[in-house]
Amino acid sequence: MASLLEVHDLTKSFGGFSALNHIDLVVHRGERLGLIGPNGSGKTTLINCITGVLRPDRGRIYFDGEEITSLASFRIARAGIARSFQIPRPFRSMTVLENLCIPLRFAAAVKMRSTELEAAAREILELIGLGDKATASPLDLTQIEMRKMELSRALASRPRLLILDEVMAGLASSELDEMLAIFHILSGQGITIIMIEHILRAVMNFSQRLVVLDAGRKIADGSPGDVIKNPQVEKAYLGE
Amino acid sequence: MLTLDLFVNAIVAGILLGGFLAAVSLGISIVFGYLDIVNIAHPAFVVLGSYAVYILNSTFGIDPLLAGIAMAAPFYLLGILIYRFYYAFFERHGAESLRGLVFFFGILFLVEVGLNITYGVDYRMVNAFYLGKSIEIGLVGIPYRLLIPFVAGVAMIFIVYLYLSKTFYGMAIQGVAQDSLAARLMGADPIKIKSVAFGMGMATASVAGALLIMISPIEPSMGREYIGRVFAIAVLGGMGSVVGTLVAAVLLGIAESLTSTFYSPSMAPAVSFGILLLVLAIRPSGIFGR
Repeated sequence: MASLLEVHDLTKSFGGFSALNHIDLVVHRGERLGLIGPNGSGKTTLINCITGVLRPDRGRIYFDGEEITSLASFRIARAGIARSFQIPRPFRSMTVLENLCIPLRFAAAVKMRSTELEAAAREILELIGLGDKATASPLDLTQIEMRKMELSRALASRPRLLILDEVMAGLASSELDEMLAIFHILSGQGITIIMIEHILRAVMNFSQRLVVLDAGRKIADGSPGDVIKNPQVEKAYLGE
Repeated sequence: MLTLDLFVNAIVAGILLGGFLAAVSLGISIVFGYLDIVNIAHPAFVVLGSYAVYILNSTFGIDPLLAGIAMAAPFYLLGILIYRFYYAFFERHGAESLRGLVFFFGILFLVEVGLNITYGVDYRMVNAFYLGKSIEIGLVGIPYRLLIPFVAGVAMIFIVYLYLSKTFYGMAIQGVAQDSLAARLMGADPIKIKSVAFGMGMATASVAGALLIMISPIEPSMGREYIGRVFAIAVLGGMGSVVGTLVAAVLLGIAESLTSTFYSPSMAPAVSFGILLLVLAIRPSGIFGR
């Protein structure tokens, strides 16, 4: 498998706190990668460095063979990396549909008339199962609908790499299965997915490979079955 | 019936004044409300617009309103230049709050002094065939030099409202204003979008300048009288609400007009700020604030 994303020797500290310590990571084209680790282990910092929100202190990041380490975040989005947020951040003054038009036009760089733009946004909403909420305000959505909107908006960037940052936190078990089914459909469409998740059932079900961070270091990288039995991982999660 | 006559005339004059004040405040509403930039130099740019209109009117005899609209394009470009400069030297380093304010304060003086050196402190005015005339409706006499600024001001507010709420780029400006990080992660270049918004704010200054010089003769430091009022209107209307700007401006216009008529013109600003404080105590986000 060819690699889509390569992270080399990534290091980031905040003052004296070292959030990421010489992280190496390769994500292959079309892969479903799970990224787990205790709170404060550096998962979100890693994602922030990849998406250009934070600038790493050292190390390099390549996407599809091109270096993206110090690119502006909007250029990284246009290159094909999309992410969802832990806490949904909709544009409050716009409808759900209009929320999707922003990434469609800017990140996916789709030059279309407004009717075509709307049609493309509607298509994504239908796929995610949010078609009937197109003209609703994001403020009127339920918890799971809000998560779906975040996901739809990430998809509207037409990404090649989709990073899901704890999109399932707080969802009921049936809703979890619904979201997982959607992720499998997206993966089937050829989108490479990194899933950050605390819900072990979800991440074990979804991932082909599991990477574990602890205190800013990568402590495991392999098949989910092997990684979960790794004594270091057990220690990180359960303590001594 | 003398008091009723006075009262109705004061109300009408206040409404007309409000439409004009809305035009002057619109640039602050956009730039302060959407971009969080305290462009204290905006009233000076309005006066600069007045001088541009004065030159076009006195040299070529162009209608003042048309001249103001024509100058909107160069003002838009000037706005983009100023924002890029402000971004490169202040916003990018996170130094926007105090040093940014000083920057715009400096620009305010540069514009004033520049106009002073070039044109002196004499009052300047424009000529148009309709400026001396008025129409009589019942008790009320409406001079064209107040009516036209009112109509033009309301029209400009309406156009900007439509642009911001109905067009794609207008929505993008709102998106960047609400959550710049989320917008960036969706591929939107915030600097480019903010440049457009700032340019738009500047373009409204040129039109507002035309309205200002229609209403009264101007001199270079006249913008200072408006600094307090325009920020009061932008905050009173609700940050980033264009319709709120119009409502707040009319409210202030009426209050000032009534105070001037029945009490004393010198009390008018105190009444304006009294209303502002009262509204903010009851509704901190302004009349139309989200």
